[in-house]
Amino acid sequence: MHVISLKDILINARQESVQMRHHYLGVEHLFIAMLQIQAGITASIIEDYGFTAEYVIDAIRRKTDKGSNQRLWAGFQYTPRTEVVLDVTNDLAMDSNLPEATERELLIAILTEHDSLPIRVLQTFGMNLHAATLAAIGYDPKREPQTPDMNVLFAESYDATQPIEREQLFVLRRMFVGHKTIRIEQRLTGFSGALVLVVTPINADDHEDAPMVVKIQDADSILDEVHRFEAHVKSSLPLQTARLEDSPVKPENSDLAGIKYTLVAHSGSVPMDLRHRVQISGTADLARLLQKELFSQFKVTWWQQKRPFRFQAWKEYDWLLPPLLTLDFIPENDEPEMPLIVKIPINRAKLKTKLTALQFGDDVVLENFTVQKVDRQNNVLKLAVGFGSEADKRAYKVEMRGVNNFSKTFYRGEVVEHLVGTVWKTRYDMMLDAVRDLEPDFEPDDRWISLEEIQLPNPLLAYENLLDRHINGSMSKIHGDLHLGNILVGPNNSIWLIDFGHTRDGHTLFDWATLEVSLLGDALMNGFESDWNTIRGIIKALVTMENGHEPSVANEQISMMLESITALRNIVRECLTNEGNWYEYYIALALCALRAITWKTMSLGSRRLLYLVSAMAILEMNRKYLNMALETPSPDLTDVLPRIPTRDPNEL
Amino acid sequence: MRLDLMIMSGVEDGLRLSYNIENGDGQLSEDQATWKVSIGRKDDSDVCLRYDSFISRQHAYICWDNNQWWLEDCGSTNGTFIEDTDSDARVSGTIPIEVSQLFRVGHTWMRIEETDE
Repeated sequence: MHVISLKDILINARQESVQMRHHYLGVEHLFIAMLQIQAGITASIIEDYGFTAEYVIDAIRRKTDKGSNQRLWAGFQYTPRTEVVLDVTNDLAMDSNLPEATERELLIAILTEHDSLPIRVLQTFGMNLHAATLAAIGYDPKREPQTPDMNVLFAESYDATQPIEREQLFVLRRMFVGHKTIRIEQRLTGFSGALVLVVTPINADDHEDAPMVVKIQDADSILDEVHRFEAHVKSSLPLQTARLEDSPVKPENSDLAGIKYTLVAHSGSVPMDLRHRVQISGTADLARLLQKELFSQFKVTWWQQKRPFRFQAWKEYDWLLPPLLTLDFIPENDEPEMPLIVKIPINRAKLKTKLTALQFGDDVVLENFTVQKVDRQNNVLKLAVGFGSEADKRAYKVEMRGVNNFSKTFYRGEVVEHLVGTVWKTRYDMMLDAVRDLEPDFEPDDRWISLEEIQLPNPLLAYENLLDRHINGSMSKIHGDLHLGNILVGPNNSIWLIDFGHTRDGHTLFDWATLEVSLLGDALMNGFESDWNTIRGIIKALVTMENGHEPSVANEQISMMLESITALRNIVRECLTNEGNWYEYYIALALCALRAITWKTMSLGSRRLLYLVSAMAILEMNRKYLNMALETPSPDLTDVLPRIPTRDPNEL
Repeated sequence: MRLDLMIMSGVEDGLRLSYNIENGDGQLSEDQATWKVSIGRKDDSDVCLRYDSFISRQHAYICWDNNQWWLEDCGSTNGTFIEDTDSDARVSGTIPIEVSQLFRVGHTWMRIEETDE
């Protein structure tokens, strides 16, 4: 391997500094320059901890931020810390009788100084600095990447119709180095594009370890999940649950990475996710599992730790919907004359009126949006309000197409002052497309959808107003993606949760609305026809149930469905902020169900059902709203209210 | 009474600044119970950070009061922050601050250092 001299690193560090508009040489610039060395010592050691150089570079840049356009000093000075580090570096080189200092001496100097900004970033990743220093000292440049020789078996129960891609298998092998064989028991389904497997590792002496859950996904997502787990989840888990094991694994020649969750406690039999279980053995026992196992195990550290949280619905739910705008990039020298300017912080009222007028080809200027992801493969820059796991920072997504044309470097978490594009699609366009895909038997933009004597409000026309509503809710630690595929059932019906990639402090009812959508869409809809008549029949039964009546349903399947929903609603009842006030739940449910219609992987029947579930939730919510509003009438009530048919409650 | 600060980012990263009540640094309240050290961009600030354009002229104070250090934001434009897991938490008003706990004024990270006293 070519040895990189300190001189070369200084040149690249200076470039990094200029790009960030810093105009001084700090340890952070040196460290980024070292991470950028192909197959360098720094990058290799970072990768041994399962992180990628790019991920660490983005995190360091986020921590420093770009400097201002205005320069406050002439020349290009070294920071006091850089002077100290460089002195130590040169001393180390002299001690080793080297003609000049190299990457290794600089890395050791930075690690032992241990107070610089890049090192503080590494500490937040849970990196052991002492071990890293030892690794740098003893680094062998000639080491070969391990190519494990390993058998991969598939259990009989494994559904072979879903092949595992070569690259995924490669990562999987790397994750189980040291084992003779691994047996893939089962694939767990996820929406996020992640591969989630239950794997049993088998040792050289044929002894089988306990099965564990493996997740393989693009490296940024996996590393974010590890970071979240370190920061938020680890300390708040109930005793019996899945835990993140080892460091993530990120092979240098793949964009994927993998992590392992171990299932503490019982071993010997293979866990199964709830979706799978419902498919195999139906909904029997589901109510008990949800209430007695899931809710009562986790509520103590999670949902029951709730505190008052008053928020506008968009803060928690906007990010679920399609991007506010999808734009085509315009280079800066091609500035339009009368663009719509969308700037952070967003003025909702203004934005809403402007958005409705916006059409294909209109010019839009974005100010102070934050980069969520640079998707080089699809040439898309994904932006939102801020950076982090909180829902309100992921709100107001905007996608800018044509990244190829960008001359500047962007990093995740960067606040971009000014970006210009023309409208390709608005959120309404995308929602309309999704509704059309349902092949509705009503006009997609009709105000009402009729359900015999009831008129359901059409969610397509209602969602923007929903996002404005104020919710008197509560906040607690939530799982953030509580669908059936993330709930595992082990032996003795014990329950584990996996996948903490979205765990955060958020609206307590978010998890339960997500789970209801998953129950209806993923599990219970199986076995029903997907025609609108059947769907309306189900909705009818749900509406009857909402009103506290025993639905006189002849269909046994529907009554089983209602049983599970009732069990879930009993949990929701315990989580309501104000006893008996379901308003906050229906908003959550309306928006979580609406989100599902954009999922291409969900069956047509499920998407149709969830669209009407959203409509039904809006109806129920409006009724609650009406009850509140009757006490304080507001002039714009007509705008949000459907015609409520008067009926005798005893009629049904 | 002595206050040692270490600058932890930016062009002055690694610089150690020392303030001593006996040398007349900072301001002492009339009842002599509170000692205040000012941070800002203007020249007569005790901690003068002229190289960070995100710092207000009078940005923040570090105070010694009731046997404890306090960090006070003076309504600065770009804010005073303490480090939090995901993003930095903005300081409003006055909050207690520990020795070696990181805080940020404008874009500049700092911390209070241990002193021998």
